[in-house]
Amino acid sequence: MEELIYKLKEEIIDVLNLEGMKPEDIDENAPLFGEGLGLDSIDALELIVLMEKNYGIKLKNANEGKEIFKSVRVMAEYINEHKTK
Amino acid sequence: MKNKYSIYQKGHSIISPLACGSSANFEAIAAGKSQLRSYGQRWGIPEPFFASVFEDDNSFGDIVPPKVEMSHGTFPQYTRFEKLAIKAAGEAIRNAEIDASGNRVLFILSTTKGNVELLEHLGSRHDDRPYLWYSAQLIAQHFGNQNTPIVVSNACISGCAAQIAAYNMLQYSDQYDYVVVVGAEVLSKFIISGFQSFKALSPERCKPFDANRCGLNLGEAGAAIVYARTDKPEELADSTIIMEAGAINNDANHISGPSRTGEGLLRSIRKVTKNFDTQRIAFINAHGTATLYNDDMESVAINRAGLQDIPVNSLKGYYGHTLGAAGVMEVILSSIALQKHMAIKSLGTEQPGTVQALNVCMENHEVQGDAFLKLISGFGGSNAAVLFSLRQGPVIRGQGTVIRIHNSQFTIHNSIVLPEITIGAQSIDDQLAQLYRNIGMSYPKFFKMDRLCKFGILGAESLLKDYNFDRENVKADWGIILMNSASSLDNDRRYQETIATDNYYPSPAVFVYTLANIVTGEIAIRHKIGGESSFYVMPEYKQELIEEIIGQAFTANPELTHIICGWVDVDGENCEVKMGLYKRMDNGQWTMHNAQCTMHNE
Repeated sequence: MEELIYKLKEEIIDVLNLEGMKPEDIDENAPLFGEGLGLDSIDALELIVLMEKNYGIKLKNANEGKEIFKSVRVMAEYINEHKTK
Repeated sequence: MKNKYSIYQKGHSIISPLACGSSANFEAIAAGKSQLRSYGQRWGIPEPFFASVFEDDNSFGDIVPPKVEMSHGTFPQYTRFEKLAIKAAGEAIRNAEIDASGNRVLFILSTTKGNVELLEHLGSRHDDRPYLWYSAQLIAQHFGNQNTPIVVSNACISGCAAQIAAYNMLQYSDQYDYVVVVGAEVLSKFIISGFQSFKALSPERCKPFDANRCGLNLGEAGAAIVYARTDKPEELADSTIIMEAGAINNDANHISGPSRTGEGLLRSIRKVTKNFDTQRIAFINAHGTATLYNDDMESVAINRAGLQDIPVNSLKGYYGHTLGAAGVMEVILSSIALQKHMAIKSLGTEQPGTVQALNVCMENHEVQGDAFLKLISGFGGSNAAVLFSLRQGPVIRGQGTVIRIHNSQFTIHNSIVLPEITIGAQSIDDQLAQLYRNIGMSYPKFFKMDRLCKFGILGAESLLKDYNFDRENVKADWGIILMNSASSLDNDRRYQETIATDNYYPSPAVFVYTLANIVTGEIAIRHKIGGESSFYVMPEYKQELIEEIIGQAFTANPELTHIICGWVDVDGENCEVKMGLYKRMDNGQWTMHNAQCTMHNE
């Protein structure tokens, strides 16, 4: 799981163009949205694409993202459970 | 200030999947008809979608390029997009009974994506065809018109922005007697996949202003209006539709999300209804896309403006959102409705339910009043309101002369030349990042932007770095007007890569930048600019045209004190930025203030 969390942080930094951030800078237990990383609604949509592209997980409804993107850890747990590739 | 001329509709036309011709379209929607339906595998899009599209290319009839040689060679045939625009323009010109080849006729094209579907088969090969200015030139030259046409690329508000540009050209410039406004949009894998990635599409007929609305439908259409001017409006027929006023305002809030407070739209509504008896407004034709946020935003703006009792409709339930055509087509349909003193039912609305209550038209019904208000909003934080009336209302007499800001003189103080971008050793992106650091910016969002926005943001930053202005509050007296020749094609090519058949993952973060006016939105957000924001596309940099547009913007918007204006063009390795900060002077003239920022790679 820790390995997946680290990899996920790298992927998030890459697809969301979080300039100057390193995986170590992201607290996996902190909320992804609302504070900290300064992410917005377009970033949330991009995370949905990330899950589909890298892990074969297709969300039916964008609102499902709200629960999944609570933190990097929650996201990693969801991916671990649902990934198809 | 009263204006010298009355600007009026001399002819129009609509070509849609529903019908051919303005009257036929009006009759169809008055009878509750729609061509919105579900499509399965069309255009190689894996997911089904609900839209209003032309069944085949022959819907527009057989339109072939004229035999005469065009300035850029001859063509065996027109594209779908070009045919649709030409068909709509041709019908409108015929109805207006004008000679469109004359040098006192200007063409203005409104589209968001034009021929973008051609990118799929072009690969890295260069072709002029996807350029919006090129489409505009083909359309104008089809009618023998040799004036350089203007393309308005202001995302979803383009259709209304183009009519406002037409108004300004007729009212404040003595160059033209007629302006042909053509709005057209064809759908493709490019556009639909992008909206799908935004999770913005409804799987069924859209429900504008409904409590259970769940997104928009897209649609194809072409529409055109010929505008003319007269200083003797009393000689026009009673049923003539006059364009009273138009306004554009930026939310300075978010590049894709509407403002929760409806701030930008409210400013536009207040501006066009100022000095106008709102009792005369028979109905409001709203944007009403049926997305959760747009419709709520409009309900807030309409309520804040105190117009909530006026009947409101959306025509998206008939045609879907026809993007660059929407503002033109919906104005035509609303004009006919006004002439018949009726408000059209907001098809799709079952149980109105917006954050603030609206008087939604649930059935076609008779209305009082001799004016209507058109509202429209879109990506890039842009909003527009346009007010139309029947000629039979009170005639507002002009002063006989056009009060015009002289645009012949301006000075450039303190010119700043940014380090040149060079091709070779370092990538353009690395050099942009270097410039960002050199300027001393701290704005992480910069790294999420496409190159067009990065150049625009850096240009504005260097213009304003040492300028003394209110950085805390949204400034309605500041505007942004930018232009280029490649619109957003640089980023369009990048988006195209995300929808390749064998690697299909449409990126919302890339798609949002496939509209040229997003750069005006980014600058508006960064510097809290809430006045007009506009983006024009033309073949090449032309200082006199830019000055003409600045002069018109200052004249048409008396509240504007500053305009950031210039040329930001990014096309592969060709990048060109020339921006200036223009300031209105006390003597009514304007000056290019503070700095000129120039970036180029040649």
